[in-house]
Amino acid sequence: MCSIASPEVFGSDEYGYAVILVAQVPEGSEAATRRAEANCPERAITLIEEG
Amino acid sequence: MDDRAPADVTADYDIFDPDFVRDPYPTMTEIRESGCPIAHTERWGGSWMPTRYEDVVAIAQEHEIFTSRNILVTPPPPGVFEGPYAGIAAPPISSDPPEHHWHRRTILPTFAPQAVAKYEVVTRALCHELIDRFIGNGQADAAGDYAQRIPVRVIATMLGVPLEMSDEFTSWVRGVLEIGLTDPVVRMENRNNILGFFRAQLDDRKANPREDDLITELMNTRVDGELVPDNYVIGVCNLLLVAGIDTTWSSIGSSLWHLAQHPEHRQQLRDQPEIWPMAVEELLRAYSPVTMARIVDHDYEFQGCPMHAEDRVLLAFPAANRDPRQFQNPDEVILDREHNRHVAFGAGIHRCAGSNLARLELRVALQTWLERIPEFELIDPSDVTWAGGQVRGPRRCMVRFPL
Repeated sequence: MCSIASPEVFGSDEYGYAVILVAQVPEGSEAATRRAEANCPERAITLIEEG
Repeated sequence: MDDRAPADVTADYDIFDPDFVRDPYPTMTEIRESGCPIAHTERWGGSWMPTRYEDVVAIAQEHEIFTSRNILVTPPPPGVFEGPYAGIAAPPISSDPPEHHWHRRTILPTFAPQAVAKYEVVTRALCHELIDRFIGNGQADAAGDYAQRIPVRVIATMLGVPLEMSDEFTSWVRGVLEIGLTDPVVRMENRNNILGFFRAQLDDRKANPREDDLITELMNTRVDGELVPDNYVIGVCNLLLVAGIDTTWSSIGSSLWHLAQHPEHRQQLRDQPEIWPMAVEELLRAYSPVTMARIVDHDYEFQGCPMHAEDRVLLAFPAANRDPRQFQNPDEVILDREHNRHVAFGAGIHRCAGSNLARLELRVALQTWLERIPEFELIDPSDVTWAGGQVRGPRRCMVRFPL
């Protein structure tokens, strides 16, 4: 799900498990990454906003 | 109203009641919004049915209490623990930890997003070929002539088994998952057909080794240095056939049934092709085909329900996916729904391993249909027939379209 919603931030490993590709959400991907967070069926994604 | 229809659905629901099979959502809503959102019935071997999203997800995730010793919605037929195929299950869906871990890990790479992407071209070509057969008629059975024929051929291609046998595979799978759920003789017969077929496929590969099909790959898998047992390989093939056919076909069929009645959604998909990934998720949510079962490990009180060891619990994913506590306007299809944490593929350690393939098949099947047949409608809404119980979807869905 997350790699469909936000492919700049999430990918998948050889087993298909989600992996995070970047440490920080790149500019322009914020909305897509929020959508990945809101749609993760396992509630495994939490975005942290830095001041 | 059908005279079998129970008065209090929270204490006597019937998942095979014809009205429930045709449209289970009013009953699910009635149960979910009652004071007893986890219903119980004595019918079909007895079961509990949670209907709230939160409860369904909690049960799916509590795999130590709610085990996968049996995952079909009715009890196994007598004789399943005897004979030549005794003990062959459908790993990893039928496995519990600790075996579940390697059972699942062995098949996951095959279904990773990057691995299934290579089936897009063959799926699209297959869809075109099916449409070529009926596009000149001005009408077709969107379920029987189209949806039903797609996933079986994709999975047969992956496994490396004869495509010409697709109709037989379909009939075997329906024998297990549809008619067989209420008819133990049919279920045993078709289970034996499937397991016997794969037993012979393994024997054939031992005599005549092949190189590049999934059955061969599974046979050559080593865990802790040892080749995996034949019964494991046969079980996985059994799962891929059974789980890969009925489910995805049902999803394609329900989606076409929906689109036949909603020209505005067809228009939206034409105007905004970028919403396709969201639309696929929304159709999966709104028409979730699959209900799985769990067996309670030991006496356990869940949300005030006194569950006993060996009780069956139905993971009613279709009910969870229409829970207004989780989804705004849950009965409405909103193709570009922003928040959609649906559980059509389950949750927890048994979450569908083939979800990426299913999504691909659903998207390609719908895109190809809409490209070739942009305008279509149901010939007679009351003539649509449905299967239900374990897997819900249309089985006959006649549509007409301009020539």
